[in-house]
Amino acid sequence: MGLPCGTHNYTYDQDMAIMRTKTHWALLVALLVLLFTFPLYSGGYLLSVANLIGITVIAAIGLNILLGYCGQLSIGHAGFIAVGAFTSAVLTNVLGLPFLVGLIAAGFMAGFIGLLFGIPSLKVKGFYLAIATIAAQFIIIWVINHLKITGGFVGIAVPYASIGGLVFDSEASMFYLIMVIAVICTFFAKNLARTRVGRAFVAIRDNDLAAEVMGINLFYYKLLAFFIGCFFAGIAGSLMAHWIGFMNAEQFSLMESILYIGMIIIGGLGTALGPILGVIFIRLMQQGMMFVAPTIEAAFPALPAGFATGLAPMLFGLIIILFLILEPRGIAHRWMLFKSAYRLWPFSY
Amino acid sequence: MEQLLQYTVTGVTVGMVYALIGLSFALIWKSSGVANLALGGMVLIFSWFTYSMTVQLGLPYWLALPLVIVFALAVGWLIERFALRPLIAQPILSLITVTLGVFYFLEGLCVFIWPWMVDALPRIFPPEPFHIGTAVVAQAYVWAAVVSLVLFGILTLYFRYHKMGIAMRATADDQFAVQACGIPVTRIFSTSWMFACVVAAIAGVLISWIGGLHMGLVETGLKSFSVVILGGLDSFIGCIVAGPIIGLAENVGGGYLTPMTWAGLKGVIPYIIIIIVLFIKPYGLFGEVRIERI
Repeated sequence: MGLPCGTHNYTYDQDMAIMRTKTHWALLVALLVLLFTFPLYSGGYLLSVANLIGITVIAAIGLNILLGYCGQLSIGHAGFIAVGAFTSAVLTNVLGLPFLVGLIAAGFMAGFIGLLFGIPSLKVKGFYLAIATIAAQFIIIWVINHLKITGGFVGIAVPYASIGGLVFDSEASMFYLIMVIAVICTFFAKNLARTRVGRAFVAIRDNDLAAEVMGINLFYYKLLAFFIGCFFAGIAGSLMAHWIGFMNAEQFSLMESILYIGMIIIGGLGTALGPILGVIFIRLMQQGMMFVAPTIEAAFPALPAGFATGLAPMLFGLIIILFLILEPRGIAHRWMLFKSAYRLWPFSY
Repeated sequence: MEQLLQYTVTGVTVGMVYALIGLSFALIWKSSGVANLALGGMVLIFSWFTYSMTVQLGLPYWLALPLVIVFALAVGWLIERFALRPLIAQPILSLITVTLGVFYFLEGLCVFIWPWMVDALPRIFPPEPFHIGTAVVAQAYVWAAVVSLVLFGILTLYFRYHKMGIAMRATADDQFAVQACGIPVTRIFSTSWMFACVVAAIAGVLISWIGGLHMGLVETGLKSFSVVILGGLDSFIGCIVAGPIIGLAENVGGGYLTPMTWAGLKGVIPYIIIIIVLFIKPYGLFGEVRIERI
């Protein structure tokens, strides 16, 4: 399945390999080279978009583990990202700890908060869990807005990330930091799905009662999914804090949480490729709207005044609905179809 | 003591409006088993539509309100026909997320058409308040409570005695069996969505008479989830009992605990209640406990 013509697996190692053929390896290396030389031939604006995409990918991978693999709906992902962002901000700014400590602590903090709000998932699922995570979103933002240490409504300044003597104070240096972590996260998520843990997640997603009967410890694995998913969110939050340099809880709204769900649905639930494609799709579209909407508005003065701000959410809502109806398996599935088609070309099967 | 009475009166009456929004949710849940997360967006758009009719077009209320109801029926039909129906028999996750998509769309639509986002509906009730003991309560609150009680009565009777209502309950129970009995399931779904939109519209108008029009209406819609969680998802009586409880907790708790904690506690109390209820009694006070089989 999914292998080039004439390639057969004869050993277990071959069967399990992610990169099966030399072409795969060559393409992977080419992709990585392309990725890491990106700052050399792109300007500041493109780089900042790439950084935003990288950070969002990390968070979306976390949500994909939680929702795509384990089937636990979380509509509070932006809240968990906020936990990570503010943990890192407080540790580095107020307490003066190094960036790496902040990064790791952000992950663990978000993970533990996620555990707390994930506990209801043991008794309830589906809609109940969705509501619990919406509640989490509001409670988290309220607490952050009122804690003295996080700067309250004003927000908090965050120093540049630095490891040892290396200070990540430019878009390009930040790009390398974000992309290295994003690549590691992608690799981790890809492999997680193939381990006992990942298979247990999938079993829980497909039928949690049957999974329990088969001897999967629901308590452990559901909470583990929440922990891993929110850990990724925390890491993304920390990177976002150090990248933007100033954090205010307003950036982490409920709409943002819904957007994250939209991203992984558009990309493809429960695939390694899905979150990446979905994030690129949505973030590029957001950037595109920023250019296009004012232009259209200037060209047609008869449009209502809310055109520029209202068009984007309307379109996103529409896209989420359309993807759910027309292509519930997302862009990743289309990509797989395309791959198998070009492998067989010019024959149809 | 005077304060307590005031908080109680305000809490109970506001709670009745929450209960009304909760009824809109339970209506859809009871008939199709779909969780409508777009409730906040629905409340928002119907309130603003009322604003357009009354203020922008200058229609009197006796003409505007029926138009709002027609609009709500149309929106309910559209949502069911184009977002929900293609997803019949899809996993529950898709059904929940599609309502999130609808939510996103409706909120965008509101910003699109009414970008200034803060306004008020023309007054319909006389400004002088009712006095209950030492407490003062605006007439709008009282009427809101009365309207929710009436609607609750109608809906309960409808679901118990009307043929369509019984068919709706049956549909929620087993769609295949119902179809075998010759009941048009799709029509049941669209009817329930249309009814739910009307209830949401009425709640939206009532709440904007009380508090004005603003984006906070979305949060009012979201807060009402605490009502359905506490009352039990499939229970009208649960909504009407839980609504005032949430309103009381919000107002009394917010009134007395805010000095001890932080400002804005009032807005968060419903969410805290959600978490507590899910920990202790996840199916709510009157909700049917689901027993699952493999």
